[in-house]
Amino acid sequence: MMTKTVSSGFSRRMLLATAAVLVLAPAGAQAQDELNALVWCDHTDPALVEPFEKANNVKVNLKEYEGTGAAISIIEQSRPGDWDVLVIDAVDVPRAIDMDILSEMPADKLPLGDLFPEVRMEETTTKDGKVYAVTEKFGYNTISFDKTKVDPADMDDLSVIWSDKYKGRIALYDYYLPMVGLTGVGIGKKTADLKQEDLPAIKEKLFEMKKVARQVSDVVASQTALATGEVDIVVGGGEWLTAGLSGEKPNLDWTIPKQGALRWAQSIGVFKDSEKQDLALKFVQYIVSPEGQARLATSSCYWAMPANAKAGEHLTDPQKAALRWDKQPEYLKNSQLYPVADADMDAAMQDVWTEMLQQ
Amino acid sequence: MTATAYERAERRKAWAFALPALLWTGFFFLVPFAYMAAISFWTRQGREIVATWTLDNYVAFFEKAHLFKGLVVSLEITAAVTVISILLAYPLAWIIAERVPKKWQRFALIMAILPFWTSYVVRSYSWLLVLSKGGVVNQALLWLGVIAEPLELSANRIGTIIGFVHFFVMLLTLTIYANLIQLSPNYRRAAADLGANAFQTFWFVVLPLTLPGIMVGAFLTFVLCIGDYITPQILGGNNELVLPQVIMLQLGRRADFPMAAALSLVLMVVVTLAYIACARWLKMERT
Amino acid sequence: MRHLTTALAALYAGLIYLFIFLPVVVLVLFSFQDGTLPVPPLNGLTLRWYEAIFSDGKLMAALGNSLIVAIVSSAVACVLGFLAAYAFARYTLPASGLLRGLIVAPMTVSTLIIGLGLLSVLNLTGLRLSLVTVGIGHVVINLPLCFAIIYASMGGHQVNIERAARDLGAKDWQVMLLITAPMLLPSILAAFFLSVTFSWDEFIVAFLLSRFDVTLPVEIWSMLRSGLDPRTNAIGSVVFLVSVAFLVVMELTVFRKKAS
Repeated sequence: MMTKTVSSGFSRRMLLATAAVLVLAPAGAQAQDELNALVWCDHTDPALVEPFEKANNVKVNLKEYEGTGAAISIIEQSRPGDWDVLVIDAVDVPRAIDMDILSEMPADKLPLGDLFPEVRMEETTTKDGKVYAVTEKFGYNTISFDKTKVDPADMDDLSVIWSDKYKGRIALYDYYLPMVGLTGVGIGKKTADLKQEDLPAIKEKLFEMKKVARQVSDVVASQTALATGEVDIVVGGGEWLTAGLSGEKPNLDWTIPKQGALRWAQSIGVFKDSEKQDLALKFVQYIVSPEGQARLATSSCYWAMPANAKAGEHLTDPQKAALRWDKQPEYLKNSQLYPVADADMDAAMQDVWTEMLQQ
Repeated sequence: MTATAYERAERRKAWAFALPALLWTGFFFLVPFAYMAAISFWTRQGREIVATWTLDNYVAFFEKAHLFKGLVVSLEITAAVTVISILLAYPLAWIIAERVPKKWQRFALIMAILPFWTSYVVRSYSWLLVLSKGGVVNQALLWLGVIAEPLELSANRIGTIIGFVHFFVMLLTLTIYANLIQLSPNYRRAAADLGANAFQTFWFVVLPLTLPGIMVGAFLTFVLCIGDYITPQILGGNNELVLPQVIMLQLGRRADFPMAAALSLVLMVVVTLAYIACARWLKMERT
Repeated sequence: MRHLTTALAALYAGLIYLFIFLPVVVLVLFSFQDGTLPVPPLNGLTLRWYEAIFSDGKLMAALGNSLIVAIVSSAVACVLGFLAAYAFARYTLPASGLLRGLIVAPMTVSTLIIGLGLLSVLNLTGLRLSLVTVGIGHVVINLPLCFAIIYASMGGHQVNIERAARDLGAKDWQVMLLITAPMLLPSILAAFFLSVTFSWDEFIVAFLLSRFDVTLPVEIWSMLRSGLDPRTNAIGSVVFLVSVAFLVVMELTVFRKKAS
């Protein structure tokens, strides 16, 4: 009897221990300093992350995604504490705040005053005076093109993207939000006032664009297509598509047409459930510091303007030229933010986009 | 020990051997599958996933043309790939089995399937280098003067089909060859004795005898082709979406797991129907 | 006439072989591309992309991960498959047809569905996504294959030998380990190596079920999505070369023996 209890007690403990090992092993591994960040692909450049890893003796685990939907999908399939740092489109920060996944950051520990005023975006990155995210990088979804193959003057008018003139030589960037917005801009709708009623008109234009386009592709496939001459125009492109290739492919260019273009802005924040709030904040501070900003602006996946104006001191003149540093005031004025959509509007835009793909 | 006790012991042993595999499959395949089937009746409402029991996702699949078209595109591409692959692979398998000297056959066969051992992702991507406007094929054809303008071979359905056919020609060459060499030469001799010429022998004797093998290969092609995401994603240029792409889109863009589950189940049903049709045909063939 | 058909056959075979090898040749060729774009025209030859991949820690880690996952998951699948095959071939189990059907069922289901299902359930159990979960998925995919191959090779002629061993006093595990397994070694090895090949190159399950530690196909996929350079071709060529070397060794050892 005695032995039986002991042995069953023992085996139960064994079972518990095994279960604990199974469940806790990954968490145990996290006991040494590691930081888990969910990011856009520009943060995966070792040149950006390694200096932080070395300085703080941590390992930064990066998982990349494309599009806020994908990020939310990953977050929903994770458990609290799985993630420490989130990079997310600035316009989608309210969505993240609603989901209650971001923690407040101390404003006095962030260089908010050094950011270009136009991209501070307090209306989305803060709520009730509390800072939940800080803008780190911005750029434009507009038109990239090969200036040796198309007439640059044609690129000043957005209507070129649905005209027959460059039929079969156009790639569309495969991200519904900026593309629906840009098409709206093309027919004179402000992204800020975009409503479901506007979608049929936009859909019609999108279908026309699909007819003259050769392909619809993600970041790298668009880049490849333009660099290899597979297409001569990328709609939705911008400095993020061509600036990084400026050394090797000087024939690639981008512009903002007279109707204007879309402006994107990425922001970075800390997960509420992160067990490493301090380290995560440190990482955010590094990313928005002038040095971090310069590295982020010129990271391998795509280049774009740093949000922190002081990053300019750490960028070379050719880099600044590729980013069009001096033209920013003009560009900022002539660009609109991504449409901000509630769940229904978002679903409707995605349906329009998928219908266009299947056209 | 009585006979029944012995039998019971034997049975216990049998269960002990079979159980690990059964439990593994049950827990990591059957349970997930059942769970996914359940989720497919839930819905994403706004930004929440709600555990309702509705057919909404399935209704949406039939009502929303862009979702349903995913299945149509998948079926069209899969059918084309299956037919083209068989037509290309059969003669090669036949040549290897009939015309290549015995001692070189194994070598010829291995050469025919060697590119299997390149990474699948990389292989699709290198087709892009071959098929693009400035790619090897277009360059060669332009240089030869066969064409004046580059052909559009990638970023469309042609690209997807070429990428798929490449993979399945290798696979089918293997399975059809295995079938051909199992045929006894007596059949052919008998046909020749009865006065059949080479073509008649092939058409009336060899081909019917290898048909079951072809069917099995065709089914394998169907299953693997209709469920693949990589090849159309890399070579299709997003000009149309196959069902697996639509499924990944639900997951990647809208975080809509219920919809992805429902579409997966549709895919599953289609494969099952193909399986039943194939099994039926094989049974009829045998009787 | 005979010459004509032979010539036609040779021509046809030549064309198909060209088709089959085209992407591989282009892949290897452009891995030596001098310049950052792995696209025609070929600017010149360089080995720097090979240097780049061998000094790329993430890529090499992914290569190691792939090897570990492939070997461990295949071994598990083979052991489970062997035990089950033994049970079904040597004993009578109730509803044996149904149970065998269950074990081979995953073979007819798309890997995408297997991956999605596992993802949703793992989420409930609290097991974090890692190489372990990728391995679990790969066992699910490979178990049917291992079971089918080993089960098919368990013929009646081995039963007598096993019975003889048992009559001579061997215990069950001794019979299985010392008699059955060695007799079935060729098919067990074939199942194992086929599993390794599948697991090594499997993408969608590995993509869905991994987080930071990824396998090689997933790493290559994210390389493709985060920048354009000939390293993709270089790693692709290396994988091909290693796999072919592995294949040649297999051909000369395992299968040569089986043929003789």
